[in-house]
Amino acid sequence: MNWTIAPTILPILTALICLVWGQPRRARRVLVAASATLQLAVALFLVVKTYGGEAFVVGLGNWSSGLGIILVIDLLSAIMIALSTLIALASIIYGYFEMSRKVEHPLRLPLVQFLVAGINLSFSTGDLFNLFVAFEIMLIASYALLTLEADDWDIKHAFPYFAINLVGSTLFICGAGMAYALFGSLNFAEISVRAAEMSADPRVLALALLFLVIFGIKAGLFPLYFWLPNSYPTLPAPLAALYAGMLTKVGVYVLLRFFGTVMPHDLHFAHQLLAWLAGATMLLAVIGAISRNFIRGILSFHILSQIGFMVLAIGFFTPLSIAASIFYIVHHIVVKASLFLIGGVALCLNRSDNLNRMGNLWRDFPFLGILFLCQALSLAGLPPLSGFWGKYLIVVAGLDQQAYVLVGISIIASVLTLFSMLKIWNAAFWHTSDEVTVASGDKRARPMTAVVAVLASISLFIGLGAELFFSISKKAAEQTLDQSRYIELVRSYPGKGTGDR
Amino acid sequence: MNAPNSFIFQAVVRLIFFLINIFAVYLLQRGHNWPGGGFIAGLATAISLILLSLGIGLKSLHRIMKIDPARIAFTGLTIAVLIGVAPVLFGHAFLEHFSVHFQSPILGEVHIGTALLFDSGVYLVVVGIAAKIIFVLAKSTQGLGGLVREEQRRYSSVRERPIEEDAPDEQMEPESRERKQ
Repeated sequence: MNWTIAPTILPILTALICLVWGQPRRARRVLVAASATLQLAVALFLVVKTYGGEAFVVGLGNWSSGLGIILVIDLLSAIMIALSTLIALASIIYGYFEMSRKVEHPLRLPLVQFLVAGINLSFSTGDLFNLFVAFEIMLIASYALLTLEADDWDIKHAFPYFAINLVGSTLFICGAGMAYALFGSLNFAEISVRAAEMSADPRVLALALLFLVIFGIKAGLFPLYFWLPNSYPTLPAPLAALYAGMLTKVGVYVLLRFFGTVMPHDLHFAHQLLAWLAGATMLLAVIGAISRNFIRGILSFHILSQIGFMVLAIGFFTPLSIAASIFYIVHHIVVKASLFLIGGVALCLNRSDNLNRMGNLWRDFPFLGILFLCQALSLAGLPPLSGFWGKYLIVVAGLDQQAYVLVGISIIASVLTLFSMLKIWNAAFWHTSDEVTVASGDKRARPMTAVVAVLASISLFIGLGAELFFSISKKAAEQTLDQSRYIELVRSYPGKGTGDR
Repeated sequence: MNAPNSFIFQAVVRLIFFLINIFAVYLLQRGHNWPGGGFIAGLATAISLILLSLGIGLKSLHRIMKIDPARIAFTGLTIAVLIGVAPVLFGHAFLEHFSVHFQSPILGEVHIGTALLFDSGVYLVVVGIAAKIIFVLAKSTQGLGGLVREEQRRYSSVRERPIEEDAPDEQMEPESRERKQ
């Protein structure tokens, strides 16, 4: 049995069963949780296998690489799939505790599963047009989830998200058409063979820059990030965690895959541009975060600032920096999702996440405060938490390249991150006031905190076991940059029409 | 929308409805080897449904169709996914298709395969989704409820408007900004 398709098809099947089952009920919730657990297990199995050097390749409809769509799961894809299924599981379980079945929207769970299917398909595909399809599945599910419980006011803020992604999709399909005209194939492996032969051709660089814009929109790079900070806060906490953890990281993954595996490695101009855009993103976004006065808003801006770190590491484009980028993605997804979930618990306790009307949380819920401190300091990059190792590696990679200005920007951004995290800490946790009430009787808070605690302990484990995670990232980076291995993997798939190429 | 009071328009629309759908079936079966297929056929059928709704009015169309278009889409998606997954259970690749080619007494040469079933699934998905989107939009412009009861929004989370509008915080009562749970 070929496991390549499992991470995509399991969520789709689950979503279909959910749709048949119509109304929210306990059995349906159990089924979705069980399926999400199964998906996580499959993803971990894929990570273990691919870490051992195996790779999973399948041609849809059993067509070989020149004729059909190829799905490839190597270590990087497997890591990303494991992260997406982990965050989806946490978000689903957290959602169960947050809301009773009576108020659950019947379409929420199926849409989450479709979203996961789209995300996983973008991680496993080896075909440019199929990547477009995966983005569409993901985006359509995300539009629906974003406005499922929205009123007109929310829709007004969600609209830029919809509009910019439509523009992105249009550009993407134009770019795919141009890639096909230029290379005669949409298969990643075939493109990388043909692009390597014509790397002196300016059209390759032009196309690479076009895709930089397209994937930059998805990832939220400067100056294309204005859609994110206002639209994500309109989501309920568990969904915000899933969006914040995964959706922009799909853009980062695709940038890694595109510049690491598909395009020739000597596009220095594009790499430089990526690095400088990333520098601008991390600095401007963290300043935006300081300007906000509510938890979800601050965290939404931080997504962008952190995207800057990952993309900066891609821009340095050495094997070490790619590994650092992958390590940073692993660290960031877990930390960011758990911070959004902590924000959700705080919102549930204070009935508000406006910092002016929050307080007393440390007095009444010290455990939540400890979790928040762990994750916030990790985001800011204090040793020995996971964020420190990610930032340390990126800074080392930058100093190797003598990019002192960019390294300086990244350190300033880290300090400002710490500052804005302390802003939340002071206002929501440390601040005591008689005017603010904490809904201590709310039964939902404890199980919700338990879910966060699991994520926080995973994040702590990443920080303390940084050696292990870095060796995995290093291996993933080697596999990502090894174009000849990728081409060999795809071309050796024994599908129909193998001899006719 | 009430039907326009024009006999000619209504009669022509009814005729064209059938012509478009015959063309859609042609596109659907053509897609096996030539340009065409479930997606474009589904769009054609969705267009015919829109035309029909203009001709006889949305309310009468709803009475005739009886079934929520989202359910059509769901049926189609199920068919397509099952056709995709079935070969995996028998040890083949995902979405692998099989076909037979034979001579039959009346139809002549027949070439038929599982790809047609998959395409029919795609066809139903496209018809359902396109019709649903357009009917929801059309009904909402006329004050009719476009969504069925299960699709109405409901608030599951404690939420507060997270983004500061132009008015500063102090001028608003906290209660007035809180949402109903």
